[in-house]
Amino acid sequence: MKTVYVGMSGGVDSSLSAVLLKEQGYHVVGVYMKNWSRDLPGMRCPWAEDLADAKRVAVRLGIDFKVFDFENEYKQKVVDYMLAEFGKGRTPNPDIMCNQEIKFKLFYETAREDGADLIATGHYARVWNDEVKELANQGSILAGGTQAQPAPALLMAKDDNKDQTYFLYRISEEAISHTIFPVGGMLKPDVKKMAAEKGLDNAYKKESMGVCFVGEVGMEDFLKEYFKEQAGPIIDVETGEKLGTHEGAIFYCVGQRHGLNLGGGLPYYVVRKDIKENIVYVSRNLNAKDLWATELELEDIILRPQGAAYDQVFVRLRHRAELIPAQLDGNKLIFEKPVKRPASGQSAVFYRDGVCLGGGIII
Amino acid sequence: MIYLDYASATPVSEKAIKAMWPYFNEDFFNPSAPYLAAKHVREDYEAAKAELAHIIGAKGDDLVITAGATEANNLAFSALDVIKTEHKNSQALVLETEHASVLELGKKYQAGLIKVDHTGLIDLVDLKRKLTGNTAFVSVALANNEIGTIQPLAEIAEIIRKERETRLITGNPIPLIFHSDASQALSLIPISVARLGVDLMTLNSAKVYGPKGVGALYQGHQVRLQPISAGGGQEKGLRSGTENVPGLIGFAAAAIEAKAHQNGARKRYESMAKILKAELEKSPVAPAFLGNKKHQLANFCPVSFPGIDAERIIYLLEEEEIYLSTGAACAASKGVKSHVLKAIGLNDAEIAGSLRISLGLQNTAEDMAVAGQRIVAAISKELARY
Repeated sequence: MKTVYVGMSGGVDSSLSAVLLKEQGYHVVGVYMKNWSRDLPGMRCPWAEDLADAKRVAVRLGIDFKVFDFENEYKQKVVDYMLAEFGKGRTPNPDIMCNQEIKFKLFYETAREDGADLIATGHYARVWNDEVKELANQGSILAGGTQAQPAPALLMAKDDNKDQTYFLYRISEEAISHTIFPVGGMLKPDVKKMAAEKGLDNAYKKESMGVCFVGEVGMEDFLKEYFKEQAGPIIDVETGEKLGTHEGAIFYCVGQRHGLNLGGGLPYYVVRKDIKENIVYVSRNLNAKDLWATELELEDIILRPQGAAYDQVFVRLRHRAELIPAQLDGNKLIFEKPVKRPASGQSAVFYRDGVCLGGGIII
Repeated sequence: MIYLDYASATPVSEKAIKAMWPYFNEDFFNPSAPYLAAKHVREDYEAAKAELAHIIGAKGDDLVITAGATEANNLAFSALDVIKTEHKNSQALVLETEHASVLELGKKYQAGLIKVDHTGLIDLVDLKRKLTGNTAFVSVALANNEIGTIQPLAEIAEIIRKERETRLITGNPIPLIFHSDASQALSLIPISVARLGVDLMTLNSAKVYGPKGVGALYQGHQVRLQPISAGGGQEKGLRSGTENVPGLIGFAAAAIEAKAHQNGARKRYESMAKILKAELEKSPVAPAFLGNKKHQLANFCPVSFPGIDAERIIYLLEEEEIYLSTGAACAASKGVKSHVLKAIGLNDAEIAGSLRISLGLQNTAEDMAVAGQRIVAAISKELARY
């Protein structure tokens, strides 16, 4: 009997994942990953409640339950990385980093050392690897109902609305080879229905969590604890006119149109930031050239399988955004039509035929 | 439902609800308002306060009504602030098994910790050793909130009295104040502030079948406190804010009712605990009953099943509407190990296997048999997993 360690948050997706794995005959161990949180007066980061929720589900399923404390590593690899990136004026994606460094690296490695053959999470994504091939042969729902050559491969979820491969594109082939996504082949409404049928609806918590360490205050307030506010001009990129004063260029994100406090009328968009001079450039013109791009330069590109090269890919520039055809030339993505330029630090993720081939971080 | 967590919360008694009701919408007046109708509310409020104070052998004016026991504990520690204005080096001592509110206050004031023995009883030798000429404040709960151990307050008070005498003779001007949190004990054992020799005592409505968010601090005449809120000067100027009239009325009604049934309830708890313990003895993992057999609140039945994960037992039993707890609710929800169980010398496996079972007025002998059997069944189920 193979042992699967399931990352459990107490939510419906990971809870049903654990049930399905157990029914398949795996020895299932539920794991709650304790990430970094700010335990300060006036801040609510309810990890203890999440842990209790996850454990409650595990107990009802009659599976073992463990807590992996990744607090220090999460702080270093995710939070510090994120702050450093913001400090450079970029807009990083902490979820992508969390999956790369914590869930599909540290959790994977720790689970393996602890006796796991495989890991599983409640992500909406699919994989094709030796284990899933086996499951597919048995006609198991866990296989996700798709396949890809060559293995191992990361594939989009069956549920387009829920597909989370945008956040998973940087996970290693080794992790992909040893992962099962039990609900990746299901539609979210069916997941809920099945969880209810299995008597889980009373156990799992209804609300899913956001990025815990940011909490409900939002990213801007979080950043203000780490970066000093520094007044600077908001300048209309087209007229050069100073429109107002901002609190520090790093708090603004390209494309943002809220929180500029520039009064009524047509909204202004942030089109560019000059971190060095602390200037935020805005425009009312949705066609302002800074808002659009026909070429994007990338760094830290990952391609699967290892050593592969692609010249034509479909690109996703935001979670759940449409797939746009593009040419991949070295570290450059070239589009036929201009695309709305994502903020520097965000990711461009590559797909072909439902397979997530990798991606890179936009410079 | 079989509820076995009365140490964490009690249902509000029917009598208390009835007593409170008129003060929400009929006699809702601000007790400080100038018209006669309001004056009647003031009179009712003061009467309730006097009745509550009477239970511990005090007068209404001796009490400061607060929003719960934690606030009362905070107010109690303000005595140390007052003393510190004249005697900078004054220090505090708290028992190492105190409730989180006293323990955290202790940390704030860099208090020394008094040790307990393996039954949770205060180590009086340790107290004497740590009691120095600079000690100005000692806080020891009348009964512990996790294992129910009742402390010999009168003996502690005697040690404190002797120390005061020494200070008088040697000319040491630092006052020495004795505080006790009696939240858990109020409904279960007779309390007289004079006989116990305390200067400050915390009371808690939520543990005696009164409403939550109401508490009181008994303030002996010789103790000076600092206001914990600034405002209109209510509660002798120590706790400004419009009086929680229904809250206090409910607290007093509940406490009086609980006191009236105290002796009968204690006997019932004793016989129910016997039934429960007999069932728990049948567990495949032998139970270790915690606390002090002689000096324990009658409604407490803390027990450890070493090697079992008590949290899992709780989650299994909640499905059958049997509710019990590990450690103190505050500690459990923060995911930290009980400092009380550590202090009485339990190892990690014993702490992880500990259940806090506390009985109350709604429990029956039949409940005890059923709960005991279900707990044992859950333990067997857990063992079968390995």
